[in-house]
Amino acid sequence: MLRNKLFQRTEKSSWLRPTTLALTFLVGVALAGVAATSLLEAGDSPPDRVPSNVAWTPETIAAASAGDAFRGMLLARRCDHCHGAEGFSSVGYTPNLAGMDKLALWKQLEDFRARKRLSRTMGPIAESLSSRDVADVVAYYAKLPVFQDSQDNRIFPQNPPEANHAGVASHLVSFGDGERGIPPCQACHGPVAYRPGVPSLATQNADYVLNQLESFANRSRTNDINEPMRTIAALLSEDERHALAEYYGSGLGLQPGSAK
Amino acid sequence: MNWRKLRTLLLTVLILCLIPATRYYQIDVPLLRLLRGSHHVDPLSLHLTGEFVENNLGTEQNPDGSVTVRMIAQQYLFIPHCILVPAGAPVHLRITSADAVHSLTFNGTDYAVKVLPGTISETQLDFLTPGEYKTACREFCGAGHYAMRSELKVVPREQFPALHQEERGSCVAQ
Repeated sequence: MLRNKLFQRTEKSSWLRPTTLALTFLVGVALAGVAATSLLEAGDSPPDRVPSNVAWTPETIAAASAGDAFRGMLLARRCDHCHGAEGFSSVGYTPNLAGMDKLALWKQLEDFRARKRLSRTMGPIAESLSSRDVADVVAYYAKLPVFQDSQDNRIFPQNPPEANHAGVASHLVSFGDGERGIPPCQACHGPVAYRPGVPSLATQNADYVLNQLESFANRSRTNDINEPMRTIAALLSEDERHALAEYYGSGLGLQPGSAK
Repeated sequence: MNWRKLRTLLLTVLILCLIPATRYYQIDVPLLRLLRGSHHVDPLSLHLTGEFVENNLGTEQNPDGSVTVRMIAQQYLFIPHCILVPAGAPVHLRITSADAVHSLTFNGTDYAVKVLPGTISETQLDFLTPGEYKTACREFCGAGHYAMRSELKVVPREQFPALHQEERGSCVAQ
């Protein structure tokens, strides 16, 4: 009696037919598999840490250097307050932008926009710019002369470096330190050679250079592609970072070899 | 075919082979790229995607006890700057260049790896005893070439897991 009822029920309900059961089972297994693999993937590999969205392909370089300097001049008036009307800042912690390389400034602004380089001040400002605005502003600052400053706004050149610092810095800039694997600064930051997106430091503020070296060393700034500056800044001693900041801040980078 | 014709033919072939041989330094990059065709990577966007993103560099422990070391050679640094590997375990080195041609050598050993932009150089290294090896670039790559040096630390096998916890076996800060 009972058996019969059960049998009838299985016959009637389409849900318990062998084909349906098999299909349900297969779908279930497939879903579980997908879920498991996605879970495993999520657990196994952390998301890629991307230092900067910029890659120096020919297209990127073309886009970064195609700005309109006149439009940039109008846009750059909102930068005057901190970076100076002629690109020389009166505040040590704010970088001088006069004559700044197009690619270097473009990359920093793009990184500020993408929150790859974090700054409470520059983050919101850069986010308010479109990619066209960025290229224009960059073109304007690249055109500003390095040697003229009619308003005498700049604090550059600053105090000459301490006697013992001058030699240390000039050696690091010209030769680096082969024993520790520190390449010479001038091989990338000029005047010997430049890489795309690397700023010239010759007219930079000492406080700014020191601040950035320290941020690289403690990894609070992480937007250098393939981490060269994070590596080098961490290899430098506290004293050497100060020496390098004083060297560049006092304008010695403009006449390499003058500090001996 | 008489002897004279054969001799001429052989000489022609020899000379044709000699010309590229003397120009090896000019054709090595395209030639090796051709030979390693399957290992192509874009040198300009290593940091964006793929095997050589920042958090994938350094030493990785494999289930079979060997380790894989991923490095980037760039003017004028090897990244990571210091590599930690266990002694006695096979080390699978995978290295690529972000710009010029470099060559990674380990002082005191015979290992030398030519590093080309666009391809992954693969090799297996074996360090049997713990120690420290200075590595250097042996292919002139630019103004800072002579300062392009880094370090490889071989630690005893039982110490490796504890040291490996932080930053994929990098020993830069130590």
